[in-house]
Amino acid sequence: MMDVGRHPNVELMSFSEVESVSGFVGNFHVTVRKKARYVDPSECTACGECEKVCPVAVPDEYQQGFSSRKAIYLPFPQAVPSSYVLDMENCLGNNPIACGKCADVCEKECINYDDQDELVNFEVGVIIAATGMDVYDPTEYDEYGYTRFDNVITSMEFERLICAGGPTGGHFIRPSDHESPKSIGFIQCVGSRSKDGRGNPYCSNICCMNTVKDTLLLCDHYPGVEAKVFYMDIRAFGKGFEDLYIRSKEEGVKYIRGIPGDVVEDSQTKNLVLNVENTTTGKIEKHELDLLVLSQGVIPRRDGAQIKQLLTLSSTSDGFVMESHPKLKPVDAPTKGVYIAGCVESPKDVKDSVTQASAAAARASILLNAGKTKIEAITSNVDIEKCNYCDVCSKVCPYNAILSADKKTNKPPTIIEAACAGCGACAAECPQDAISMRHFTDEQIMAQVDALLSVDPHKHLIVFACNWCSYAGGDMAGTSRLQYPTTCKLIRTMCSGRVDEKFVLQAFRLGAPMVLVSGCHFSDCHYINAVHWTQKRMDRLWNKLDRLGIRADRLQLEWISAAEGQKFAKVMRDMEEKLKQVTEEEIEYTMKKLEEEAKKEEEKKAKKAVKRAKVTQDQEVNA
Amino acid sequence: MSPTKNDPAIEKFDIQFSFREKLNSVAEGFRHNYCYQCGACVADCPANNYDEHFNPRLIMLKAILGFEEELLGADSEIWNCTNCYTCSERCPQDVRPIDVIIALKNLSVLQGNAPPIVGNIYNSVLQTGTTTKSSSLVDRRRKELGLSPLGSYPIDEIQKILKVD
Repeated sequence: MMDVGRHPNVELMSFSEVESVSGFVGNFHVTVRKKARYVDPSECTACGECEKVCPVAVPDEYQQGFSSRKAIYLPFPQAVPSSYVLDMENCLGNNPIACGKCADVCEKECINYDDQDELVNFEVGVIIAATGMDVYDPTEYDEYGYTRFDNVITSMEFERLICAGGPTGGHFIRPSDHESPKSIGFIQCVGSRSKDGRGNPYCSNICCMNTVKDTLLLCDHYPGVEAKVFYMDIRAFGKGFEDLYIRSKEEGVKYIRGIPGDVVEDSQTKNLVLNVENTTTGKIEKHELDLLVLSQGVIPRRDGAQIKQLLTLSSTSDGFVMESHPKLKPVDAPTKGVYIAGCVESPKDVKDSVTQASAAAARASILLNAGKTKIEAITSNVDIEKCNYCDVCSKVCPYNAILSADKKTNKPPTIIEAACAGCGACAAECPQDAISMRHFTDEQIMAQVDALLSVDPHKHLIVFACNWCSYAGGDMAGTSRLQYPTTCKLIRTMCSGRVDEKFVLQAFRLGAPMVLVSGCHFSDCHYINAVHWTQKRMDRLWNKLDRLGIRADRLQLEWISAAEGQKFAKVMRDMEEKLKQVTEEEIEYTMKKLEEEAKKEEEKKAKKAVKRAKVTQDQEVNA
Repeated sequence: MSPTKNDPAIEKFDIQFSFREKLNSVAEGFRHNYCYQCGACVADCPANNYDEHFNPRLIMLKAILGFEEELLGADSEIWNCTNCYTCSERCPQDVRPIDVIIALKNLSVLQGNAPPIVGNIYNSVLQTGTTTKSSSLVDRRRKELGLSPLGSYPIDEIQKILKVD
């Protein structure tokens, strides 16, 4: 961080928050709130005189609350810039009659109680999000007694207690009596790999090796200490990890495969007693420990939603940020010009974070050096003649690529083509049909529907499959040689969000017995959240079909991912079964009914056009 | 995990994966598939406290490996379960061992292998609506504690509910 602070090409803004981000790749406008420090960082020499006289003491967050800090403080020894910060919430200096001692002793006179937040605007070409993670709070695992017993601590707290810069200066003691513990237990997977509602279902990736490292630290500094690790699986998968694990075992650390039950505290000694089934022997073991460390998992940042909103990032089901492609674009965010690095993407250790950050920086520099970028030819286009400024498109767009329309100022919606990814949700949602796509046009898709249903329409199942998941799922089924009925006829769209109501109705009108719309699962939509619009549109269509007296379950919606070849084949077989149940009378009724509807619509449109023509005529006459 | 002498996989090698399908077909029986053998269910199990042969983790393992005879036999350890649901609370994988054990009990009853005592309990519920017969001692204790005497239950309705077609 020191190097970053000193680098001539890097402007470091610590103690600041991003307020807003607008624009697109190469042209991002960013507003940053530089929070008030109440100390001028360019003047402060970090002499520490102010800290000595400050009368306020509050728990030190950096030391996990094990020690206290003053209201004016250095957040941590290596802080950049090396300048004190005033915590105004706890400071008494708001009222100089009450205090003001720090300002009195500051020789540089750099303390200013009236300091204000400052908003800074600048333009950048690319953005790298590396906002990190939070740690899991093990309070809900009440059987381990984290909130009830003094000597149950988390791995973060352990880190502070054994650190030379920690509250005890590196003398490892336990909280209850400040004695050096002789037997220390570690419970693994606290808040990780849990599906029962407590904690998170994923593996937090770093806790196993962190515990192995902790046990080695203990063995190195305090020979003779008894360390026991209760685990379900030790995942030592990285380079040199297994060596470290074996070394820890050789040092005499006991690894016991089993997850303990209730932890009980001895009220006299404050020792902790726990029962555990050693699953390698099948025997219940009782352990008395001086100190118990809960190896807490990693969670996405608690304020992560804000960052995602600012940069239009999407999240995976576990709350971490989703990459553009899990294999081929692991550091790209779905939004062009935004890259991700570190634990914001998934839990990872320092080495992986550095690797990913280097990759993100390299990816960013490619764009910056080139100075220009190629975009996919699939983008949307507004026909201003047809547009009635309803502004649905800008709300639908997952990429914020459409600037809002405004009827009052006669401002049509503008599509930023550099930001458009071509999902087509806007084209499908536009009630005026004013938006057309470049490639995958309405005409092309309609022509496919017409062609597929030109012969024996009642025998065909029309499937709209999205390019990234469902269509690829079909490929998977093919390459896995899975059998499925030949009645299904696939029409590829870039996203299921592209499937317009009129495509589905056209298929029914031409006599299709069944229509299936399929897309990516909600959590891995390749267009951030365009599938949400698919779902909403399907709901609307089902209602419409219901109203027209058409059986709504003839229109089906399925989420099939690219890896789910099995599911694809199964869905197609299920559809075949459902297709057989559709009677010819039903199809005939549907065709007739939809034909009538289409006629009505046309009449309405014609009437509107006549009206509009009249209005313009009148206006011209008046003019 | 290295197998030891106590491990059923070593004692007997009649692994039947087909049993999994049978258990999956009973309500809540499918949950045994989730088990990753961490042992969280065992440490606080009160039945295990008194009988070390009763081990929910091993029951899940036996179910996965399909040791049908051991699990569904008349002297199976599944009947030692006290239905306290502690294992369900501790399980990180949402296996709910207790529900799997109940599924196993149901299978055992269906196959007619349940211990005779189960039949007695069934009859007791059918006749009185309670699992245990009330006695004068219960009435006396309730009176001492200032509780109202136990009423009778709508037996005909219970019988209607329990009636199997």
